[in-house]
Amino acid sequence: MATSAEIMEALEDYKIQCNNNKRLRRMQRDWTKLLHFIAEDTGDKFTMDVIKGEIINNKEGAEGTPDVIITATSEDMCDMFWGDLNPAQKYLDGEIRVKASQEDVQRIDAITMIIWPDA
Amino acid sequence: MTGLRKVLKLRTVVSSSAGLAMATSCYLAGLYVAVVTVGELAWVSLLIAGVLCLLSAMCFSELTSLYPTAAGIKLYIQNAFNEKTAVAVAMFYVIGGASIVGVESYLLSSVLLDTVGILIHPLVDRFFWQLIFILLVGYINYRGVVLTGRVQDFLTYLMLGFLICVGLYTFTVKGVDLAAAVASPKFTLENIFTATALGIFLFIGFEWVAPLAEETEDYRMVGKGMMIAIGLLSITYSVFVVAMYTGLTPEQIKSGTTIPHILFARNLFGSTGAAVFIFMSILASFTSFNSGVLNNSRFIYAMARANILPRGLSKLHPDHASPWLAIVMIVCFAVILSLFTLLTGRYMFIVVVAAALECFIYVVVALCVLRLRKKLPDKERAYKVPLGKVIPVFTIVVFTLLMIGMFADSTKDSHGNILFQNYWCALAMVIFAGLTAFYAWRVMPKLKAAAEEKAKTRKRRRPQRRPAS
Repeated sequence: MATSAEIMEALEDYKIQCNNNKRLRRMQRDWTKLLHFIAEDTGDKFTMDVIKGEIINNKEGAEGTPDVIITATSEDMCDMFWGDLNPAQKYLDGEIRVKASQEDVQRIDAITMIIWPDA
Repeated sequence: MTGLRKVLKLRTVVSSSAGLAMATSCYLAGLYVAVVTVGELAWVSLLIAGVLCLLSAMCFSELTSLYPTAAGIKLYIQNAFNEKTAVAVAMFYVIGGASIVGVESYLLSSVLLDTVGILIHPLVDRFFWQLIFILLVGYINYRGVVLTGRVQDFLTYLMLGFLICVGLYTFTVKGVDLAAAVASPKFTLENIFTATALGIFLFIGFEWVAPLAEETEDYRMVGKGMMIAIGLLSITYSVFVVAMYTGLTPEQIKSGTTIPHILFARNLFGSTGAAVFIFMSILASFTSFNSGVLNNSRFIYAMARANILPRGLSKLHPDHASPWLAIVMIVCFAVILSLFTLLTGRYMFIVVVAAALECFIYVVVALCVLRLRKKLPDKERAYKVPLGKVIPVFTIVVFTLLMIGMFADSTKDSHGNILFQNYWCALAMVIFAGLTAFYAWRVMPKLKAAAEEKAKTRKRRRPQRRPAS
C-alpha cells in the first residue's frame, strides 16, 4: 500500500511533468476540470484542479464537486502518476474505475500517453 | 461519496440508446419485416423482436451494474471467460457494428439521389454522396466534436414523436383492415419467426449506451434507460412500419425501393412531406453513424493503448485530442464497405449479417451473466435479472434459434425471388470470426509480450520505498 505522502509526492511530480509539456498544454488548452482521486484500499482522497490544461494544485482530501472521479488502489495510483503503469490496461481490466464523461476519460489517458509515450 | 458536477439524466440515457438504434436503414428493414409477414400485422413481429431485445437488455443491465465501465463488453467476457475470447468477440462486434455503415451510406445516398437527381451517373453520384456522408462524420469526430446530451435528447425525441404522429395520422386517413390481414395465408408462424429475426436489426445499437454508465449517478439508470428505449422503439416502429406499408402503393412495395419512407411521405404529404422525411433521414443516419464512429474509435484507441491492437492506433491529434488514426481506419473501412454495397447492391447481405451478429452478441452476454453469477456470486450487483436463470437461459435459446433460423433461410426481393442464400452470411461471419480469433490467439500475445519486454527495459521513475522508521 502506498501512503498518502507517497501519492502526494507522485502527484507533485506529475504536475511538473504535465505543466512543462508544451504539446500537452496545447492539446488540453480548453480543459478545465476538478478531479478527485480515491485510493480504494486506504480510503485516501486527493483533489487536482486543472485550469486550461494547467494543473494548478494538488490537495489531500476531496474538495469541491468534481467533474471526474478516479478510483484505484494506492499502489496503482502511485505508479500511474510516476508513469510506471499504463492506465489504459488497468482501465480495460476494470482495475481503475472512472466516473466521468467519455471525453474526459480519454483526455486523462491522453495526458499519461503524451508524458510517457512508452508506458 | 461525492457526486459528479455533471451527470447524465435518465432522459438522455433513453435518447442515446434509442438514437443509436434509429437509422435510415430501419425504414427499409421495417418494410422487409412487413413484406415477409403481412404488412398490417408487421407490428406483431416488431413487438416480439422488441420483447426479445428487452430480455437481452436485462442481461446487459446486470452486467453494466457489475462493471459500470466503458470497457463494457470486453470486460464482461474477459471476466466470464478469458482475455483472448474477450478480444476476439469484442473485435468481431466492433467490425460487425461498423459494417452497418455500408448499408446506411448506401440508403442515404439513395435518398439524396432521389432528392437532387442524377448529376453525372447514378453510380458516381451515389458514391459521391456516400463519401460526403462518411467524410463529414469522420471529420466531425476528427475535430473531437461531441453531441451534447441536450442535442441528443432533442433529436431523438423529435424523431420518435414525429414518426408516431405521422403513423397515427396515416391510420386515420388510410385505415387498416386487421381482419383481412389475420385471414391472409402469409400470416404463418414461420413468416412471423423470419420477420422477427429481421426485426432485431431495427434495435441494433441500443446496448451501445452501456459506456455511459460512467457518467451516471446510479448504475441502474443505464439498464432502465435501455429498457425504456426498447419500449419506445417497439411502439414507434410498430406504428410507423404498419403506417408506411399502408401508405405505399402495391407497385411501390413490389418495386424493391430503397427509399420507402420518402415515397410514403410523398404519397401522403406531397413534396413538403418528402422534404421533411429527407431531413429526418439525414438526421437519423448522422446521429447513428456519428455515435458508431465515436464509440468504435475510442474502443480501438483504448485497445491500442493496452497493447491489444498495434500501438500506432492510439495516436492522438495534437489539438483536438481525438484518436485520429483510429478514426481514419474506421472511415477507410466504411468507404470499402460502401463500395462493396454500391458495386454489388447487396445491402441486405449486411443487414442479415448485422442482425445475426446482434443475436450472437445477445447469446454471449446472456452466457456471461450465467458464468459471472457462478464465478462471482457475492459481488454486488445494483441490478439482477429476476427469475434466476430463466431469462438468461431463455435469451440464449431464443437468439440461438433465431440465428440458426436466419442462416437456414434465404433473402428474397419484394417479388419473392431469392436474392441470396443466408448461409453465405454465416460463412462471411465465420471467416471474420476466424480472423479475429487468429488475431486474439496468435497476434495479440506477441504484441503484449513485446510491450512487456519494452516495459522491462524502462527505468522505473517511482523512487524506491523508504524503509519504515
